[in-house]
Amino acid sequence: MMHPEQIEQLILAGMACEHLTIEGDGQHFQAVVVSREFEGKNRVQRQQRVYQTLQEKLDSGELHALSFKTLTPEEWSAQHG
Amino acid sequence: MSDDIQQRIHATVTGNPVVLYMKGTPQFPQCGFSATAVQILKASGVASFASVNVLDDPEIRQGIKDYANWPTIPQLYIRGEFVGGCDIMREMYQAGELQKLLEGIIEA
Repeated sequence: MMHPEQIEQLILAGMACEHLTIEGDGQHFQAVVVSREFEGKNRVQRQQRVYQTLQEKLDSGELHALSFKTLTPEEWSAQHG
Repeated sequence: MSDDIQQRIHATVTGNPVVLYMKGTPQFPQCGFSATAVQILKASGVASFASVNVLDDPEIRQGIKDYANWPTIPQLYIRGEFVGGCDIMREMYQAGELQKLLEGIIEA
């Protein structure tokens, strides 16, 4: 059982984010990650980057069900302009 | 990481045009994300595809995570290439990209 705040802290500790929201009920989580690091990276590479920050919790099985949206700041502002 | 397992996975993903590594089977998925992945594939027009139930084999379950450097299941492979997990499949389907990628192997 994890809290959304724990996941948020792990991601923020592992990479630079312009924007991050995580919603979840302890079992299933939805994350929106906006980062400059995603520029020039495809979807798989972006998600691999976020997974890196959560590796320990994924390996232990504590974290299992996490959905992502991964956006660059430009993509993010285009969606929320 | 076992080389033998990695070779088995490589043979499976290159030997079938479309392969879904999932929890459960297309008929009886054992996880919501795997169920969604099956639905997206079917909605993309694929009549049949190869699937591997990772719950049947702990070595494959771990091995497939190492193979694609991807820590979660499901995982979709098309023409031997790792495409992504459930979120990426959904995004690609909504953008029409997945259907395009599957063109020509619909009858697989």
